Order: sequence, then C-alpha cells, then structure tokens
Amino acid sequence: MSTAIASMNRDAGMAAAEDSPDAAVRFAGVSKRFGGVVALHEISFSIRRGEFMTLLGPSGCGKTTILNLIAGFFSPDGGEIRVDGELVNDVPTYKRQVGMMFQNYALFPHMSVAANICYGLKARHLPKSEIDRRLRDVLSLVRLVGYEERRPRELSGGQQQRVALARALVINPKVLLLDEPFSALDKNLRASMQVELREIQRKLGVTTVFVTHDQGEALSLSDRLAVISEGRIRQLGTPEETYRQPSDRFVASFVGDTNVLRARIERIDATCAIVALGAARIRVAAASLRHLAVSAAVDLFVRPEQLRLAESNEPCASNGTIVAQVYQGGHVDIYLECADSAAGRVLARLSGPQAMTPRSIGAPVGLSLNTDEAIAFEAA
Amino acid sequence: MPRSSLQRLLRFGGTLTVLAVLGFLLLPAFVVVLAAFNASALPSFPPQAWSLRWFAKAIAYQDFREGLRNGLIVTSLSSAIALAVGATFAFALDHYRFRFKSVIEGVLLSPLFVPHFTIGLGFLILAAQVGLVSTYALVIVCHVVLILPFVLRSVYVSLRNLDRRLELAAASLGAAPRRVLMTITLPLLLPGLVSGWLFAAILSFNEFTASLFVTTQHTQTLPVVMYNYVREYADPSMAALSVIYIFAVAGLLTAANVWLGLDRILNVDGNR
Amino acid sequence: MKTQPFLRSFVTPAALCAFGFLAAMAAVLQYSVRAFIPGSLEPGGFTLENFTALFRPLFAHVFVNTVWICFLTTVFTLIVGYPLAYALVHVRNRFAKSFMLITVITPLFLGEVVRTYAWIIVLGNNGFINSVLLKLGLIAQPVQFMFTTFGVVLALVHVTIPVMVVILAAALSHIDRNYVRAAESLGAGPIRAFATVTLPLSMPGIVAAVTTSFAWTFSAFATPQLIGGGRVNMISNLVYQLGFASFNFPFAASLCVAGLALTLIVLLLLRAALRPLERMGPH
Repeated sequence: MSTAIASMNRDAGMAAAEDSPDAAVRFAGVSKRFGGVVALHEISFSIRRGEFMTLLGPSGCGKTTILNLIAGFFSPDGGEIRVDGELVNDVPTYKRQVGMMFQNYALFPHMSVAANICYGLKARHLPKSEIDRRLRDVLSLVRLVGYEERRPRELSGGQQQRVALARALVINPKVLLLDEPFSALDKNLRASMQVELREIQRKLGVTTVFVTHDQGEALSLSDRLAVISEGRIRQLGTPEETYRQPSDRFVASFVGDTNVLRARIERIDATCAIVALGAARIRVAAASLRHLAVSAAVDLFVRPEQLRLAESNEPCASNGTIVAQVYQGGHVDIYLECADSAAGRVLARLSGPQAMTPRSIGAPVGLSLNTDEAIAFEAA
Repeated sequence: MPRSSLQRLLRFGGTLTVLAVLGFLLLPAFVVVLAAFNASALPSFPPQAWSLRWFAKAIAYQDFREGLRNGLIVTSLSSAIALAVGATFAFALDHYRFRFKSVIEGVLLSPLFVPHFTIGLGFLILAAQVGLVSTYALVIVCHVVLILPFVLRSVYVSLRNLDRRLELAAASLGAAPRRVLMTITLPLLLPGLVSGWLFAAILSFNEFTASLFVTTQHTQTLPVVMYNYVREYADPSMAALSVIYIFAVAGLLTAANVWLGLDRILNVDGNR
Repeated sequence: MKTQPFLRSFVTPAALCAFGFLAAMAAVLQYSVRAFIPGSLEPGGFTLENFTALFRPLFAHVFVNTVWICFLTTVFTLIVGYPLAYALVHVRNRFAKSFMLITVITPLFLGEVVRTYAWIIVLGNNGFINSVLLKLGLIAQPVQFMFTTFGVVLALVHVTIPVMVVILAAALSHIDRNYVRAAESLGAGPIRAFATVTLPLSMPGIVAAVTTSFAWTFSAFATPQLIGGGRVNMISNLVYQLGFASFNFPFAASLCVAGLALTLIVLLLLRAALRPLERMGPH
C-alpha cells in the first residue's frame, strides 16, 4: 500500500511540474460520489496539450466518470477541474468546448450526416460559408465525402463512428473525449480504426482523452496512460513505463499478461535486490521491497514472453507440467501447471524455433527465464 | 451537474408549471372531499360544519347497493372472460401464424377508436333483434368487447418482453408444449397478466356510456345508478360515494405501482 | 409433431368476439338506412332520409360543435400535458415520480360519472371556483361555468390529460439520454437542444397522443351531457336523446355512422397535416 501511495505522490509531483500553460486539462484533488458510493478519491493529474491520454481500468473503476466530469455532465464534489487554465467546475456542458464521441455514437437519427456534423457549428452561429468549408474539410479527413445526405441508420458501424468523430472534431474542441469508441466493432475494423484515429489526432494535434478497458488498445494508442482502479490513479506514465515498471501489483497484472511466481530475496541494497527462484537469479528494483529482509518471500511478476522451456539438463527456475498448447499464429501459448505460481498455472509465450517443437500434454518440463530483470512486489 | 442561470430559470418555471398542472388534476378530488364531509346539503366552501351523514346515506342507499352488486357481477365475469380470451389470442398472435391474423387483431383493437355510444347502440339493436335485451349476458358481452383491446395490448407487450429462448430451452430439456406453457410462459407473464386484468376490471367497473345503452333498471351498473342520481337529486350523497371511489382507486393503483411497477407496465420507464 | 398446438382453442374465442363486435356494427349500419316509424321500436323500409336529415342546420351544428370541442380539448391537453410528461420522465426522485404517476393516472380510473360530478361541484354557481372568487372579492356575481363550452372543455381536458401524458411519457422515455448530451457537448444550450433534438424525436409520440386523445374525446358522453346540460351538445348526446327520448333508433344509428365517418376523416386529415412533422422523428 505504501508503495502505491509513493508512486502516486511521484506522479502528483510530475503533475505539479506540468502545471505550466501546456496543461490542457488539469484535475486537482477531484472527488465524486454517487449516493453512498465514492467513484473518485481526490484524483490529481494533468494532460498535456496535443497529448493522447488513455484512461485504462476495469469496469466501474471511475474512468468514465472522469470523462463525464471533463465534459461537464456532472460537477465534482470536491477539487478543481481546469481546461486550458480556466476553472470549469460550474461551467455547463454547452459552454465548454469539448468534443465527445459516445460509445453508441449518439448520432441524431432524425438528421442527415451533414446535419449531424454541422450541428455544433450552427449552435455557434457560424456563417454558412464557414460551415460549408469546415464540413468539406472534415468529411475528407474521415473519408466520407459524398455521404452528406445519408441517414445514420443507412451507415455501417465503422461509417457511423467516423461521422461521430467528424461531428466532434469539426467544432475545433479544446479536448476530444472518446468513450470506448471501438468496443462495438469487430477485431479487424477495430485495428484499422485505431490507426486512423491516431493519424487524425496527430495531424490535428488535438488533446485527446480515451477511455478503454482493453489494455492492448491502451498500450498501442497512447502517448501516456493512466491506470485506474476503484477511483484512484495507480500509475500515470508512458505505455512502456507502465508495462516495464508497473508501480504496484494491480498495474502489473492489469497491463499485459503476467505470471506471479513465489520467490525469495537473496540480497538487497539501496537500489536493487537479487531474487532467487530455483536456479535463477533475477535482478529487481528495490524500491517496493525496501522494508524486507533477506530470504523474505516476494511475488515475482514475469511476462509470458520472458519465460521459456528449459533444455533437458539446464538448471531451471521452476518446473511444470504442460496442460495445453494454443497456437496463435505468430506465437504459441503454453499453459503449464506450476507449484511456484500463485495461481497454480503459468503461461509461457514462445515464438521462433522454440515454438515449433511439438510437446505432449502432461509432459513435465523445466522453466527458465530469458531475462535477468523482472518486477517484484511483497508477497501477498 | 453544472447549470447556467438560463437552465436554472427554465427548471424553476418548469417546476411551477408542473405543480400547477398537478394542482389542476387534484382540484376536483379535493373539492369533492370537502363537499362530502359538509354537514349541510348545500355546497359551501369552506364547509360550515363537518359530518359523516352523507357517507351513511350513500352506503345505505338501496340503488347504490344494487348498482354495486350488478357492477361486481358484470365486471368480474367480463374481466375474467376478457383475460382468458385476450391472453390466449395474444399468445397466438406472438407465437403462431394463421389466416386472418391481422384482420381479427384489427377488429378486436378497433373498439379503442369507436365511440362507446356507437358500440352501446349497436349491441342494444342486436339484442333487441335477438331478444336478449334485459339480461346480464348482453352487458357482459358488451363489456368484454370494450375491454378486450386493453388486455390484448397488455399481454402482447409482456409476451414481447419475454425472452423466447427460455421457452426453447425448456423444450430442449424435454418439456412438452403444455408443460412449457404452464411452468415457464405463464409464471413469467404473471405480472403482465395481472396488471392487464386489473386495468380491464377497473375500466369495466367504471364504464358508463355503453352501459347506459345496454343496461336496464334491473341490470344497472353503479355508474348508471350514479348518473341517474345526479340528474334527480342534488345532495352530497354522491360526493360521499365519489370520495370512497377515489380513495379506493388511488389505493389500488398505489398498491399496483408498488407490487407491479406501473411505470414499467405503462412503458414509461424507457431506458432509465 | 404439431408446431402450433392450441391454435384452434386460442384463436376461436377471440374470433367469436371479433364476430360479435362486427355484428353490432352491422346492426348500427343496417338501422341507419331504415326508416323510423314513430311509436314503434321496429324500423321501416330502406331509406336514405336519415342521412339527408343530417345536413339540416340543427344537426350540422352539432357536428361542427363536436369537432370544435375535440379540437380545443386536444390542443389544451397537449400544451398542458407535454411539460408534465417531460417532468415524469426526467424527475429523479422515486417518490415524486410515483406521486406524479398516480395523480395523472387516477382520473382515468374514476369513471366518467364521478369525474363529471366532481366538476359540477367545482364549476357550479354555488361551486368551488365561484365561492373562492366571491370570497376573495374578485367578482360580484357568480360566473356561469356550467352549461358553457368552456366548462365542458375544462372537464374534458381533465380526463384527456392522463391519456396524453401516458403516451407522451412513453415516447419521451425511449429517447436515448445521450442524444441531448451529444447536443450539449456540441454547444447547444438547453432551448436549442430541446427544440432540435428532444422535440423532433418525440414527434411520433405527439402524433400518436394527439390522435388517440381526439378519438377519446369524441367518445365523451357524460361530461357534455351533465355539464353541457342540453345547451352544449356533442354527437354522443344527440344519439342518446334520439334513442331514449324519442326511440328514433334509425336516426340515432345514422348519427353514429356519420360520427364514425367524421372521426375517420378528421384523423386522416390530422395525420396528413402532421406527416411532415412526423418525418422529423427517427424512423
């Protein structure tokens, strides 16, 4: 617990350093409760101008609440929300300049594509020539030229989404908010839409807040991501930081697949510790283990791609029995029963020549790590 | 949520309007209660003295009692028949295909749009030709036709909301159609059936215009008796009866709301 | 294996009811083209006189009056009912919502006679409104509300509100909340958001509510009879008087047929007039 707070303070410190004109959105001590349930516990963070920030977390963690607070659909119970330096706590939605893309798109069914897109421009009383120009530009940006007079119900899911995106972008919003926009699409369409979205966002340089529970999506799209659980930010950092240096157990297990193996501390000093698992010696950061003594039990978090099956006579880190082999195209996932695992099972991801060797179910194998650096936290 | 001053103003104005409308809706009930407890036979507001004598008179009045008896006979029979006919037909509409399906459905729903005085006159003429004028049967048949659309719609909506896969699952587990009907469909439809029946029963009990045409002295339902009373006498016995009526109905509806969820039945809960 | 068990037993009773209703309607139709023999309950031979008689000023006036009353009632009910339906759908407090729902629904279940009687006490010369106005010194003499079109319409609005509100509320509650949020996020203030999103999307509901209310009001009898007191007559009252005062069933039947035709025409006109508006709604 103390390590989580420590990293939160670290992030808050980073946030304070970002308290520059470059912060497009700033949350300071924002809390929100619904009835008796606390949705957000005094959240503080900043989003830089032009940044693609993802809010990642399981359902009910509070990520959508943060989005709705930025949009102004409700007010925070405590703390301050600033957009472009301006305090917006009491500013109603229609006076903020945010562009929102809803999960179910919320395209006005009684209006054409063009009318949908121009809605925000008409509300701002822009001259007709300006409206026409912006409509043309945004339609070519989302590649829907020629669809002006269609109705939403005549469009496919992907097309509807592009209209929703165009509608939010055409008003030149200060912040673009996306609420799990790809959850309704099939896998292939999702992948291509993700790429398209990122391209458009980079081109326009619009600050974007993206909400998802899909960590794969978060890792691939974001400049930075905030891992949220139970109304608190666990970690705020680049995808690589959260993946390689998770600040706590939750982040380590939520972002990317992971195996949790019981190991012991062999040596520990100020900066790093050596952890022993079977015959393997692994170096871990000492930050979260500082208060522990030698031979204390720790949970070692090992990514599936960091595991490999040991050769016959090689000293190994652990042992297991093969339970299943799943061919995944580019790699093979091997599930093993392993006594050292907290869950009783481990997942090893093999690619290349090692992946090709067929193995039989029930065969006992040794497990080795193909890295000598990993992440460890105090044993749960 | 954060609101602008315009939004706050609109909210205030809206609340006032709604309160005014609710007041308008409650006004007659409020006034009738005042009149019913008024000791004097002449209306005066506020009443000079209070009394319960009109209630005593109303309850003792022979014609009211007969009207109540006739009304209960007619209502219980016609609502039961309407429920049986409506529920089975709604089931057939939802599950089966057959000839003249939409024709029969259309005809059965049309009493909603045909004035009751027309329907009443029609049944009266029909009865005269067949010789059934002064009978309960005539009144019951007329009522069934009038309330059937409501039962039909209510049960049909419940059926639509029933997940068909539950019935299919039961069938796949070996249940014959009759067993599926008895153990799956009926129990799940029960709230819809009860509310449809309740709705229909209250409408039948209160039905006036058509009943005026098809009832005679001997089969008069309560609304017809009350109508005759209002035309002849001016004392507040009628007010007392109305008060009993109002509280009975409001109580019934509140209970229905609590147990069955009126907002769901009336389809006003949407996606909240 | 029978794929449609119970078909016969489920459909036959309903078919019988449908047949019964059609028989009643046929009886009305049949009588409308038969002559009236004064003093007898049996109708005479075939004649179209019952329908030609409708064009006489006395009866034509009743037709016009009926349409006018239905129109007034429907318009005022819509104006008053829409805000109530909106509030019913948007209020958060469970208790307030239940209270509103019960208050709105109850008049519907009281029956014409109880409702109308209550209005008699409210509108009469010794009634509630006059007593209050006299006591407050706002008037010197009681204002005549009974036996006027105003009184009849007021009482009819009271009973039509439940019908209008329930249909409107059903339509409003099915409008996805996100549409208004989207409009607001795009910069539309509360008035613009309502006028361009909520109102158009509720159009189909408004059309359904208006048509149902109109048909409902057309059927009213006790209210115009008791509050109109013979001076304000709708077609329903005329049918009753002809049938039970003079036993002229053939003429009463022709009035019914003409009334049905009138309702149909007005409803069709209404739909045609509202069609461009309905197009604004989602399809």
